[in-house]
Amino acid sequence: MNKNINSNARKSRLPRESGAAMLIAVFALLLISVVAIALLVSTGTNSSLAGNYRTATSAYYAGIAGLEEARGRLLWKNPNYINLTNSYSNLLSPSGTPTWNLTQVLYITNPGPGETVDPTNPNPAYYPDTEYGQEFAWGLGGAAIQTPLASVSSVPSLPVGPSYKWVRINPVTEKALNIDVNGDGILDGASVLFYDPARLNTSNQPAASLVLAATPGSPPVAPTPTGVEALEITALAVAANGGQRLLQYVVAPMIISPDVADQGFPAAVTLDDGATGSVLTFNPPNGYLINGVDSCNPPPPTPSSVAAVAYSSSANQGYMVGQVNLNPSDYSGAQYPPPPPPPPPPAPFSPSLWYLPQQSAPPPPPSSSPPFVGSPLRQSWLTPLSLDAVMQDIENSADVVLSGPATGAQIWAAAPSMTAANPMTIVVNGDLTLSGGFGTPQSGYGLLLVTGILTFHPTAAWNGLVLVVGQGQFLMAGHHGSGGITGAVFVAQTRDSSGNLLPTLQATFGPSSGSALGNGINYSSCWVRTAQGPLTYKVLSFHEILLP
Amino acid sequence: MVAMAIFVLICAAMFGLLQLSQQKYNSESQMSGSFQEARLGVDQIVRDISISGYPSLGMFSNPISTAAYAASPFAWDPGYPGVPCNVGSTCSPTPGDFDVIVETDLGNGNGVSWVRYQLVGTTLYRGVVTKTVGGDPVAATPTSALTPFVLNVMNNVTGSLQAQIAAQYPNRFPNWPVPIFQYTCNTPSGPQPCTSAAATNYNTVKNISDVDITLLV
Repeated sequence: MNKNINSNARKSRLPRESGAAMLIAVFALLLISVVAIALLVSTGTNSSLAGNYRTATSAYYAGIAGLEEARGRLLWKNPNYINLTNSYSNLLSPSGTPTWNLTQVLYITNPGPGETVDPTNPNPAYYPDTEYGQEFAWGLGGAAIQTPLASVSSVPSLPVGPSYKWVRINPVTEKALNIDVNGDGILDGASVLFYDPARLNTSNQPAASLVLAATPGSPPVAPTPTGVEALEITALAVAANGGQRLLQYVVAPMIISPDVADQGFPAAVTLDDGATGSVLTFNPPNGYLINGVDSCNPPPPTPSSVAAVAYSSSANQGYMVGQVNLNPSDYSGAQYPPPPPPPPPPAPFSPSLWYLPQQSAPPPPPSSSPPFVGSPLRQSWLTPLSLDAVMQDIENSADVVLSGPATGAQIWAAAPSMTAANPMTIVVNGDLTLSGGFGTPQSGYGLLLVTGILTFHPTAAWNGLVLVVGQGQFLMAGHHGSGGITGAVFVAQTRDSSGNLLPTLQATFGPSSGSALGNGINYSSCWVRTAQGPLTYKVLSFHEILLP
Repeated sequence: MVAMAIFVLICAAMFGLLQLSQQKYNSESQMSGSFQEARLGVDQIVRDISISGYPSLGMFSNPISTAAYAASPFAWDPGYPGVPCNVGSTCSPTPGDFDVIVETDLGNGNGVSWVRYQLVGTTLYRGVVTKTVGGDPVAATPTSALTPFVLNVMNNVTGSLQAQIAAQYPNRFPNWPVPIFQYTCNTPSGPQPCTSAAATNYNTVKNISDVDITLLV
């Protein structure tokens, strides 16, 4: 009986309460779901916005990485130089300057894991190069495509490298750039473009620019001795979401040469006193040998010798003749005629001394201009401002930059891998005292730029170029040693001691605080060319190509 | 009755939460929109500045006209195209903290263009005009010819808005207003802010090497 009563009581409550619980649960679940979905949507939108931005930006920088890899690997001293095994001797000269024919094309490919990259294949899955055909009428079908190189951009510690797919290197034309370089109203598609860093405009001012090849077709011929071939580098990068970015450089090798005919350096020691400078100090100690005879073995055909000492302003002629005649046997090398008056020509002298007339603007100077042997200095090396700009280019491409006052020990410590096989570009912003040790001199190799005062001890040796531009003072110190300079020295003062630009160039060579013997300075065309570079490939332009 | 009371309470709590969530969602959406707009804006500015100065005079041995090349990555006023002004001193209005005109070929077939970014109030405007021979880049790109590009830009606000930002981010912006464009110049001692003493004598428009972009939205 009790059992039945309890059972009835339970039955009477069930219909009223069980539905409410259900409703509460359903409503609660519904509301929580709505809130959760709203939050998810908000977070998801934000994430996808940020993700899209990130992938688009990463593609851009991946493209830049591709451009920089190609630009870096064009440089002869890069460990991954593209012509390291001389496989592309048809593209690059032994000194590393480009010699590409009009239709030659080289790709560097960078496939991701498990994918194939073949820009010459029209299959979209292989990332075809559709841009080349837009720029060159013959398209990839008519191009001389070289064996492609693999990218070296991957980093072992990272799962994947930059996401660019390929980089193309090729010569460039007006048509390819869509730029009428010479203003003749025609976009020339057959003439390779060169870059002439020594070009002058009609006002006789430096106006480095692109110029057309001397003649259309292949092989390309530079229109001037200082012209170097310009190259186009194009990179395709693809983002994870499929977005593509196509970026392009136009680059040209940067070669340091003061000589308008690109014959290297005009003398073992060049004192740049500008076009009209009148302040020059040349006071090396007796017995300090300066030799313009080319010590390169084997020497190039011409010239076998340069002057021992050269200067550029005729105003200093009398002074220089007097100074070299103090110790005439110290200076050997090519003989050149003295500059024209004023002042009146002195008696013939035997020491090697070369007056450097200045570069003339086009059209060529009349026949009544002073006769000279050899090549004049570039206009851009004759004023403090423009010469400083050249030195800034060197600093921008330097391997090591030190602040002065510095010592040779600091250079050796900062550039431990500098060897004859691995010459470097060293810049010292300030004074440098270059000395080595007793016995075998400590040697440096490559290009040394000192913007302060260089004090050179015969216990040190330098093989290559020594540029003392800024304070422009080359001093000697010490008494003994077997070191010296093999290559060439260039001295020019562009700034006063406070750092202000001078109105005209000056130069100081000597004196010495000791007997400072050693081997002196010996010209070597081999070391000059080695140190000259190309120092880097200068970026002439950068732009992004819009993809359809 | 008890169940109903609990149900009402839970419903109230849920609706309250839902309302909060909705408000949060709306504000987050607006913020996302602003951020996205700012990202796109910065991305476009970076692209334009990255390709600024193309093609330069150095690409021509004999340019057919002055409009064929970019005189400089950035146009300037006063004095264009003559003597470049000094950033932070004689340059007015451009290049300035809230106004810059990029000279470049955008690849649209129109040749070199002037691309102007100008902040007016809280709106950053952008406009593109083809460069013309003898043209004045500032006169060619008046505000009326520009289009709104990024809204709700806070870099140059004053009053309560500035106070809110200062309260929200104390010590974050010690100097107000915050320039959108800050320029770095090439100097013999390396890159220096164009307005710094170290850049004196090297702060002309043609010495600009980098531009820092700060966009507050």
